[in-house]
Amino acid sequence: MTAELRTVLPPQERVGEPEPRPFAGRQGRSDKVFTRVTFLSGVAVLAIMGAVGFFLTLESTDALGRVGFSFLTTSVWEPDRGEFGIKAVLTFTVLIALVAVAIAFPISMATALFIVEIAPRRVKSWLVSLVDLMAAVPSVVYGLWGAFLMQGQVIGLSRWINTWFGWIPLFSVDGADPGNPLSNATVYTASTFVAGVVVAMMVMPIQCVVMREVFSQVPPGEREGAFALGATRWGMIRVVTLPFGRGGIIGGTMLGLGRALGETIAVYMIISSRFDISFHVLESGSNSVSALIALRYAEASDFGLSALFSAGLSLFLITLVVNFTASWFVARSRSGADSEA
Amino acid sequence: MNPSTDSPAGPRVRPRRSRSLASAAIGVWSLLIASLCVASASTPAAVAQEYQRISGEGSSWSANAIDAMRVNVQQFGITIDYNPTGSTAGRKNFLNGTVDFAASDIPFQFEPEDGSAPERPAPGSYAYMPITAGGTAFMYNLRINGAQVTNLRLSGENIAKIFTGAIKTWNDPAIQADNPGLNMPARNIVPVVRAEGSGSTQQLTMWMIDRHPAVWQSFCERSGRAPACGPTSFYPTISGMISQSGDVGVSQYVSQSFAEGAIGYVNYSYALGTQFPVVKLLNAAGYYVEPTPENVAVSLLKAKINTNESNPQTYLTQDLSGVYTDTDPRSYQLSSYSYLILPTKVGGQFNEAKGRTLGDFAYYAMCQAQQSSASLGYSPMPVNLVEASFEQIRKIPGVQVQDIDITQCKNPTFSPDGGNLLAERAPQPQACDKQGPLQCPNGTAGLANVPTAVNPSAQAAAPAAGSGSVASSANPAGGASSPAAGGAATPTAGGATPTAGGATPTAGGATPTAGGATPTAGGATPTAGGATPTAGGATPTAGGATVNTVLDASGAPVDAVTGAPVVDPTLTAGGVIDPTTCDPDTGLCGGASAQVGQQAANAAQVASAGPVVTATLRNGSGWNGSLALIVLIVLLMMAVVVVPAMAWRYFAVEHPT
Repeated sequence: MTAELRTVLPPQERVGEPEPRPFAGRQGRSDKVFTRVTFLSGVAVLAIMGAVGFFLTLESTDALGRVGFSFLTTSVWEPDRGEFGIKAVLTFTVLIALVAVAIAFPISMATALFIVEIAPRRVKSWLVSLVDLMAAVPSVVYGLWGAFLMQGQVIGLSRWINTWFGWIPLFSVDGADPGNPLSNATVYTASTFVAGVVVAMMVMPIQCVVMREVFSQVPPGEREGAFALGATRWGMIRVVTLPFGRGGIIGGTMLGLGRALGETIAVYMIISSRFDISFHVLESGSNSVSALIALRYAEASDFGLSALFSAGLSLFLITLVVNFTASWFVARSRSGADSEA
Repeated sequence: MNPSTDSPAGPRVRPRRSRSLASAAIGVWSLLIASLCVASASTPAAVAQEYQRISGEGSSWSANAIDAMRVNVQQFGITIDYNPTGSTAGRKNFLNGTVDFAASDIPFQFEPEDGSAPERPAPGSYAYMPITAGGTAFMYNLRINGAQVTNLRLSGENIAKIFTGAIKTWNDPAIQADNPGLNMPARNIVPVVRAEGSGSTQQLTMWMIDRHPAVWQSFCERSGRAPACGPTSFYPTISGMISQSGDVGVSQYVSQSFAEGAIGYVNYSYALGTQFPVVKLLNAAGYYVEPTPENVAVSLLKAKINTNESNPQTYLTQDLSGVYTDTDPRSYQLSSYSYLILPTKVGGQFNEAKGRTLGDFAYYAMCQAQQSSASLGYSPMPVNLVEASFEQIRKIPGVQVQDIDITQCKNPTFSPDGGNLLAERAPQPQACDKQGPLQCPNGTAGLANVPTAVNPSAQAAAPAAGSGSVASSANPAGGASSPAAGGAATPTAGGATPTAGGATPTAGGATPTAGGATPTAGGATPTAGGATPTAGGATPTAGGATVNTVLDASGAPVDAVTGAPVVDPTLTAGGVIDPTTCDPDTGLCGGASAQVGQQAANAAQVASAGPVVTATLRNGSGWNGSLALIVLIVLLMMAVVVVPAMAWRYFAVEHPT
């Protein structure tokens, strides 16, 4: 609206939708090949996605057809006895992902802000490399590290949280007895929390990269303007960088969530699988859809495999939704729609 | 505005920095490439053509044995990929045709009683071949007043109740009754079970159902598994249990420092590898027994092997109910055989060339490999099963049949009269291992040389003077023990002389030493101070001297040398090692050397040392292996990712900052 008030344009130029200018030059062979190849690649990506979804649906019809809607409301996983569902598994999956994001979000946001706004130029490139490196570490390494090195260290944190915040149902642990010197530390191992901490280390880089990209696109004019009006650095970040990057923050976090939901091998190596729903994240025993598939696919019967495919399908749909939502947020942010500039 | 045109100094400074970094990067890359070249050059190209790479999957229970064989056959150019993902996965993938052979502790489940889907292999498409034997051991992590317990004893009923959640604390009166010498701590028990489908789970539940049906039935109902309460490969878990994948997962979990109070079931070899003790299990004769290779050999004399060759579904499978009730004092109830499932038809990815490779591997596994299995914690195959296995190998399509003289296999169970030498020679349990008020202080499995202090009332009171004779009488195997070189008979590994140990408490009496009887003294020599007595292990040099003495005295290798010194204490643990495989110079015993093929032709020649096997066990199942792996991966990644990334950043002149 403001633009129309300010600008007076000849009426005929505003009529109708803006149309792309027709390409006048003659297309050479290389241009044609390039167009075809890029078109085909684009179609291939879509086709592969579609094929994955189609294949998953096809394979899971056998299992889903047998149990129907109770697939969503059953906790146990005994496909060969005709009794299976993803209620517990999906709950644990989401819990692990939420724990991971809750831990990774502040770290990645602070890192991104530090890299973009505060770090000296030389440190900046190193930090960017290091964060990229974290993303490049194979997840089995995180799994080994988490299961054998970190788990023993996290127990102390788990016990501390449980001791002081155990009155919150989320942090209570069955069988924990902090006052007893002979109590077992094992009640804190192989838990949702431990898995979540490891997964947090894996989703942190992707969140950080997205946020850093968006923060670095903050229009310099607004930044300078804030400084010119006497803002401190934090003040500038608060009123310019964060509002501008809101879409990137949300999108990056959700992309991380998407990755956390599907994380397999690290979770598989850490958790002790259980099928009774428990919201006590510090308590021993957890589960996840992908870890369940990794654990069971090798030994599943044909019907069991179909059941695993249905679990995979549900995870596929959820991550699809999460990732599309995330990329929508990121795209909005990159268009600068949130900005007044 | 462009920074690169702004500062004329920029371009001059940057190249210098780039050069140094570039040279570093080039150095790392050339190093990598060089190492790759070396790796590829060391592959014997000539032999590799003859054999095809084959893949197997299955039991993690027998994985340490199979892995040692796998490593040892690489010298012949045979490359085998073995994936220890559990017996169930092995059988499943064998049926799917994605692997060439499977390893499974149990046969195909045609009629499973746990609600799982039946397995239906095509008739005549497979053959069972028993490959190794061993004990399903209960590895535990328990401390009393900060000192690790190494001599825990449990009755079968208590084991069943622990793994069904009926006994929840270590100071339960029933467990205390098993261990009169220990003051059991008021700590919760954390049973660690297998997460995935596992043959050892099946063996354990089969035993429980046979011996303690009521305990199992009530657990099955509590866990929600009922009514499908038959033997199962998938352990039903209840709150308070931890499930981990593979024997490696279970043993690693139990061995973590935070896992105090945990107990898990794994193959005996994993306890050796992680240097942890195992439970001495009460047998029908009233003795608490450790699943050493000798004791397993004794126990499996009572295993009923199906010899009806006309039915390949059951041929060579085992019926272990006789083992459960064996009244031999050395018997360990959870001993069992583990099998390879061999393909007998060409199809899918399996062809005759692979059959030839698999056949040669199987021949090696049944012959030469058996001599070293005891040092890994497995029990070698007896002669009847080796012969039956040779017949099974003939059924592999494309196999090159070998005519093997089994006396050349140097299998420690073989004796000229056809009996099981290893079982005959197995030492009787000590008096303090009998059910009653006494308890032996000796450690077990991976901590065989770390005794645990027992209460004075539970210590054996034997005259110290008679300790020497006790030592020899504790080894009553028929004609096997021949103290040829004047009192040089060393006590068996880990066995030491218990009564001597009990009779000679050290100052303070807190730690009765296990009386490391040194060979030259011929009697018990209590270690002064006794903080860490070397039970039976002696020192490598002293032990090496023993071997020499015996060899010199008799002019030929005699079998008096049990518990011969081996450099790695984990290998000595309970391992009676065939003396003919001991190297007189190094004192190393057991193990197939690189020259096994040639040496088999020369019977008189003493097989040389087996550093290969030593390395396999230590790196294959210990934490050291994982640590090394992590370090390696991290270093590789630094080389592959960090250096190029850094170089890229510095090379980029127009770096957007």
